[in-house]
Amino acid sequence: MATPAIELKSVSTVYEGERVPAIRDIELTLESGELVAIIGPNGAGKTTLLETINGLLPHTRGQVRVLGRDVARCGPQLRSHIGYVPQEFQFDETTPVLVRDVVLMGRYGRIGLVRRPTAEDRARAQEALELLGLAELAERPLGKLSGGQQQKVLLARALAKEPKILLLDEPFSHLDFAAREGVAELIARWHRERLLTVLIVLHDLEAIPQSCHRVILLNEGRIRHDGARERVVRAFALSYGG
Amino acid sequence: MTRMYGLPWSLIFTLLGGAALTGATCGLLGTFVVRLRLSSLGFTMSHAAFAGAALGLALGIEPLTLALIGAILTAAVLGPVAERAKLPADVITGVLFPLTMALGLIFLYLAPGTAMSSSALGLLWGSLFAMAGEDLLRLLGLAGAIALTVWLFFKEFQALLFDRKLAEESGVPTRPFYYLILFLTGVTIALALRLVGGLLVFVLLQSPAATAFQFSYDLKKIFFWAALLGVIYASMGLGLSFALDLPLGSAIVLVSTLGFGLAVWSSPKRRRT
Ligand SMILES: Nc1ncnc2c1ncn2[C@@H]1O[C@H](COP(=O)(O)OP(=O)(O)OP(=O)(O)O)[C@@H](O)[C@H]1O
Ligand SMILES: [Mg+2]
Repeated sequence: MATPAIELKSVSTVYEGERVPAIRDIELTLESGELVAIIGPNGAGKTTLLETINGLLPHTRGQVRVLGRDVARCGPQLRSHIGYVPQEFQFDETTPVLVRDVVLMGRYGRIGLVRRPTAEDRARAQEALELLGLAELAERPLGKLSGGQQQKVLLARALAKEPKILLLDEPFSHLDFAAREGVAELIARWHRERLLTVLIVLHDLEAIPQSCHRVILLNEGRIRHDGARERVVRAFALSYGG
Repeated sequence: MTRMYGLPWSLIFTLLGGAALTGATCGLLGTFVVRLRLSSLGFTMSHAAFAGAALGLALGIEPLTLALIGAILTAAVLGPVAERAKLPADVITGVLFPLTMALGLIFLYLAPGTAMSSSALGLLWGSLFAMAGEDLLRLLGLAGAIALTVWLFFKEFQALLFDRKLAEESGVPTRPFYYLILFLTGVTIALALRLVGGLLVFVLLQSPAATAFQFSYDLKKIFFWAALLGVIYASMGLGLSFALDLPLGSAIVLVSTLGFGLAVWSSPKRRRT
């Protein structure tokens, strides 16, 4: 059997200075090429789970393996293959980067230390910009874009990386309706065509993509349900009055 | 003509070279200090370097060595505190600045017979005559090393200066680079101490870079302008110090502040509020 894309075994993560784990005893396996949605109320631990998977947050117990390797040991190298769009971001006007650089920077990890970006790297970055309709903004400072535009830049940055795994935390939160549809379609296409493994956090149940058949319900740091979309969504509606 | 203001040209070139190199190095590193909000850390480091140098004078040990130790020790202790933002920056400064200053003054006071000698005062506000040919070579080496480091790891530094979390997200390890910056800042401060003085060395780490940030969003250009402005501020400060017979450090501060003020006034990035 192929190695799973993501594998968590009794994982808990405690934030520094806290005593209560933000997620606890998480057992989770995502096969390569799966598209899975995570739902749950505010403070459930959704963001914590994503950042535990890519190792931005060190887990305090258990084992996190991504693409067959231990995140605690190969963090930076694994992250160069995991696209992540954070839920929260804020770039003020003084941020000293242009949009094209931000997108290209998504590839810096995989380019490796000391090496320079090649023509290929620039081409991939340009492609990602175009996929998100940002070509015209390429030379603008990131801090002077709107929130929705910034979110699209972060999406482009994650795609420019040509990731094997994509972690998306409320990726539609700043997008208008048309952009939402476009981005959802784009993600579904990459998932289909590139066998991309996608884990997507959503609070809007309507936004769960058509092609997503598995949903995970998180609450108070634990996985409450993990299974067929209809069943989990119904359970969520029952317990949280959705 | 072989002299200017009664000084031989060779000394003038040494001074000018020293000022230019100090300015360039501080300008380049200042880009990191400003963007990573290491100001209060750098401020404390420069006073620790001053305290170290004063201790050196008191004990009759080479002041530069102890200044280096003082600055780097501060970086090693405060680096992790600043990195995790456990204490607000102004708290660090508020507590440690008086301490390092007090230590420096005590050491100066204890320095046998030299308390108010020119070498002791030079540590405080910088001295034209502290710069020797040897210092020039050291500064040249340091400037070269820093320029090379920035060139080699431009990508990583750019990612770190943009957003540390996103740098990590893309697979760039940021911690080694963060500490590399702190280390280089410590060395720079210690070397710049003689020329600019412990009270004021910090201004060269702040003004040129802060000025450069007012004019560009492109990090390559910001690095370039910060280094160039460092050279300009330091050399003009040197000129002013000669012309009006002011302490060198103070003259550099006057020029830098004027430059920064002009930049803010004319900046295209200035906020509209
Ligand atoms: N930096 C932090 N330090 C300490 N505790 C934190 C931190 N960030 C989050 N927490 C706690 O961890 C728990 C999970 O937070 P998390 O951000 O993962 O929730 P979430 O499911 O993403 O919520 P939301 O829907 O609001 O985004 C919460 O109880 C929160 O209070
Ligand atoms: Mg969240």
